[in-house]
Amino acid sequence: KLTYFDGRGRGEVARQLFHLSGVPFEDNRIPMAEWPAHKASMPFGKMPLLEVNGKPLPQSYAIFRYLAREFGFVGDSPFAAAWVDAVADQFKDYFDEIKSLLFVHFGFAQGDKEKMMKDVAIPARDKFFPMLEKIAKDNHNNGHFVGASLTWVDLLIAEHVSVLLKYMPGFLNDYPTVLSTVKKINSIPKLKEWIDKRPDSTF
Amino acid sequence: IFSFSSQKSHHFSRLSAMSVYKLFYFDIRGRGEVVRQTLALAGIPFEDIRLPRPADGPQWAEFKSKTPFGQMPVLEVDGKQIPQAFAISRFIASQHGLAGATAFEAAWVDAIADQWKDFHTEFSKFLFVKLGFREGNEKLLKAEHGIPSLDNFFPLIEKQLKETGSGFLVGDSVTWVDLLIAEAVQVISTAEPDFLDAFPEVLKHEQKIHAIPLIKKWIENRPEQRR
Repeated sequence: KLTYFDGRGRGEVARQLFHLSGVPFEDNRIPMAEWPAHKASMPFGKMPLLEVNGKPLPQSYAIFRYLAREFGFVGDSPFAAAWVDAVADQFKDYFDEIKSLLFVHFGFAQGDKEKMMKDVAIPARDKFFPMLEKIAKDNHNNGHFVGASLTWVDLLIAEHVSVLLKYMPGFLNDYPTVLSTVKKINSIPKLKEWIDKRPDSTF
Repeated sequence: IFSFSSQKSHHFSRLSAMSVYKLFYFDIRGRGEVVRQTLALAGIPFEDIRLPRPADGPQWAEFKSKTPFGQMPVLEVDGKQIPQAFAISRFIASQHGLAGATAFEAAWVDAIADQWKDFHTEFSKFLFVKLGFREGNEKLLKAEHGIPSLDNFFPLIEKQLKETGSGFLVGDSVTWVDLLIAEAVQVISTAEPDFLDAFPEVLKHEQKIHAIPLIKKWIENRPEQRR
């Protein structure tokens, strides 16, 4: 059972892993207004929360990695798995920098979008995406960010890039290999099927 | 090419055909210490390469472009690089029985580590000023970031230790997140001696982890201890 807000946010990769593997799960979506009542019952006071036969597991990346291991999306060797983890953690650092602007786009916060684009988003992008572009280029024969098969970091990045393309078109024009890799990932049949039918949300 | 201090680990446990491990970080504990301790606890000999900080020489400026993400720590295994401290620690730990006894326990190790990372992002706004790494209003940052983040995080760790009852954070045996948290507790207790007094299990845990023979030996011999 996956418990998260009624949006993609920090829960979507887990949902995608379930849909890709064909393993059934309860997609428990909590409306914003009901969240305060649930907070105290969460081990770390946050969502997403995964429950496996009733046993709770918090923290999004721990959840993604656990499901990816169970379902075969963690990388084809310990070294590849370490690189999946490393790219994900580097992405997390970047996301922590850019999220303040994204939250304004999602409607969670107020802010001057143009100023934040200049002061926050562009510097964050320019630190992270050249490295990601190189990683994608070095691995471009495989059509993934790490290794030769789909991993949870592919899903993590593809979901984020979709958000950027929606709210900040042109933002990644200088990173064509990142964009083409994301396009390949999003066209995986089982993933495309979920993307086409999932509930809409701003975030 | 580079001149930086390098010390071989004292911990040779297996002399079979082993991979060659080199860890690159600054000459501080910081983000590298959990990796060094994980290697030490796994009994893996490694070259502990310590670069001078940027203000003290050009070595980091030269090496930076050779790292995957322009950051350290970086582990080289037979010449192949792995960046990011948690990715490295998990890579070593999971191959040496230091990442939990089951997949679910491994996931809880990861969850606690990531929760610490969230805490540290907030707490370091105060800590780095306290330790003199950056300028700032120490008193204000302690009140606005230090104490609130501490009060959000350490009750969870205290509770987790009470629940496992084993003296370890996850399951019945030591994992890399025990090393991470014990190191953090030592850093915080050194900077602010009474800061964790409300968390007796946390303080006991630090003592227990740092008494593990291979860790005790590492701490006694690390450069920071001998300065």
